[in-house]
Amino acid sequence: MRVIDVSDLGRTFRSRSGLRRTEKVVEAVRGISFQVERGELFGLLGPNGAGKTTTIKMLITLLLPTSGRIEVLGHDVVAKPREVRRRVGYVFGGDRGLYERLSGLDNLRYFAELYAVPAREQRARIGELLELVGLTGRERERVEGYSRGMRQRLHIARGLLHRPEVLFLDEPSIGIDPVGARELRQTVKALIEQGTTVLLTTHYMFEADELCDRIAVLAGGRIVAEGTPEQLKQKVSLGSVVEVEVFGLPGGTDERIRALPGVRSLVVEERGPAQVLLVHAEPGSELTQPVLSALDGAQVGRVSTRQPTLEDAYVELVGGA
Amino acid sequence: MSSFRLFLLGGLTSYRALFSWLSPWILIPTFIVGPIAQILFFAYAGRAAGVGDDAFYVIGNAVQNAAIPCIFAMGITVGDERRQGTLGLLLVSPARRIPLFLGRALPVVVNGLAVALVALGAGSVLLDVPIHASSLLSLTGVVAVSAFACTGLGLANAALSLRVREVAVLSNLVVGVLLVFAGVNVPLSDLPGWMAAVAQWLPLTHGIAAAREVAAGAGLASVRDDVLAEAALGTLYVLVGLILLAWFERESRRRATLDVA
Repeated sequence: MRVIDVSDLGRTFRSRSGLRRTEKVVEAVRGISFQVERGELFGLLGPNGAGKTTTIKMLITLLLPTSGRIEVLGHDVVAKPREVRRRVGYVFGGDRGLYERLSGLDNLRYFAELYAVPAREQRARIGELLELVGLTGRERERVEGYSRGMRQRLHIARGLLHRPEVLFLDEPSIGIDPVGARELRQTVKALIEQGTTVLLTTHYMFEADELCDRIAVLAGGRIVAEGTPEQLKQKVSLGSVVEVEVFGLPGGTDERIRALPGVRSLVVEERGPAQVLLVHAEPGSELTQPVLSALDGAQVGRVSTRQPTLEDAYVELVGGA
Repeated sequence: MSSFRLFLLGGLTSYRALFSWLSPWILIPTFIVGPIAQILFFAYAGRAAGVGDDAFYVIGNAVQNAAIPCIFAMGITVGDERRQGTLGLLLVSPARRIPLFLGRALPVVVNGLAVALVALGAGSVLLDVPIHASSLLSLTGVVAVSAFACTGLGLANAALSLRVREVAVLSNLVVGVLLVFAGVNVPLSDLPGWMAAVAQWLPLTHGIAAAREVAAGAGLASVRDDVLAEAALGTLYVLVGLILLAWFERESRRRATLDVA
């Protein structure tokens, strides 16, 4: 069963500034369409400004679309916002969005009232969620003393209070430590197993690769690719990736490598004192020796060849958009 | 039932969550020392100028001091949702807006009433202004209606915080206007005609007039018109506030005018 149905969705922002009140028009989302089935974990990936958060804000009824249509659980988000709000949860990453002066417990109690969780169920539900996110024993402390990871876990508990059928997670793991992020992924997996549909935006490709059933990559307000993580990896590059660590890249070397036959693209990353060359090969090309020859005279460190990751696919998809 | 719980429990929780003045370091100077100083200042100024008696200033300024929590606390309990980044979460919740925002007003009315009564008690003791024990209950009722009316104006003022960031500036202005226009220290009959006409549409004007009469020994029946006018104005401002909140919320969805993430 389809729980999210987005068709030709668009959102334009207009603002006026300066003495002449010059109008500035930004097309944040440009006619995107996608569907999410019940129990699916759907990822929206894209660089900053790609339109991910704007899309989520329209899905959760916080913003009206300027064109197109959205149905969530069969309800039009424009015509029936309250019906949608009752059934969806929204969690975003970062430090804000909690009442600092209240305890974690009082935050949850307050949001339970906002979502009309029956009084007789509140205590048990809050206890269950505190257990789920590992905050049992800390719930009576003021949120202003919570670490970022604790806040994020409280956000998750808040978003689940009313047992939403669809959960929107907007960069939920931003700024939390690796252990916290791993626990968050486990929690998300458990929710999917319980039948919750999740729409996730993230900048962390391994997170999307590990969690998402399907992914849409957004760039410039448009969907540039959609499919399973495996399909996306295959869509952009069937060739391998040669990674070469170089200490002091001689001038002009990158142009020489790009000119080599079989090279699809080259990305140079600065990692401390070294530069790491990521050479994406055309299918069937073997590039290790030609690349090392092109680096003649440079001090070369670690060399490896691997299959493309989702991040490689993402960089290529977004870079080409 | 859930709307009632949201009104009562939700209102109290959000008041605790958002009204950042709930610390002794702010409460005592703002709600006790400041109001008493204001009463003394105007009473001594009145004595020096040879106009009015102490009771006039004690009652006028004590009731006017209800405006401080009523205007500022309402503004903060709505406006600070934006600062804490919770406004978006509030707006995507299915909670009914009328109990949600009216619930926030209830503790504010109690706060305003308490500030005014403490100022009244302290002022009457310090300046030796007798208030008959028999009129205390009626006086409390009149001050409560005045605090409600002020909170209504506070709600309308707070609604603007969904459109402008610095609502505290506006709150200062509103409290200042009430001090000048509402017959707190200058009888309405001595104000220019247009100011007296504006005062009829402001909270406190009728409440202060009724409180002065009740403190002087009049019964509630004789100040009924003023009390009803004060209550009606309060209701009017509450309605204006709720309409503005609903309108700004709709506009924010259409024009993305709120920073909600």
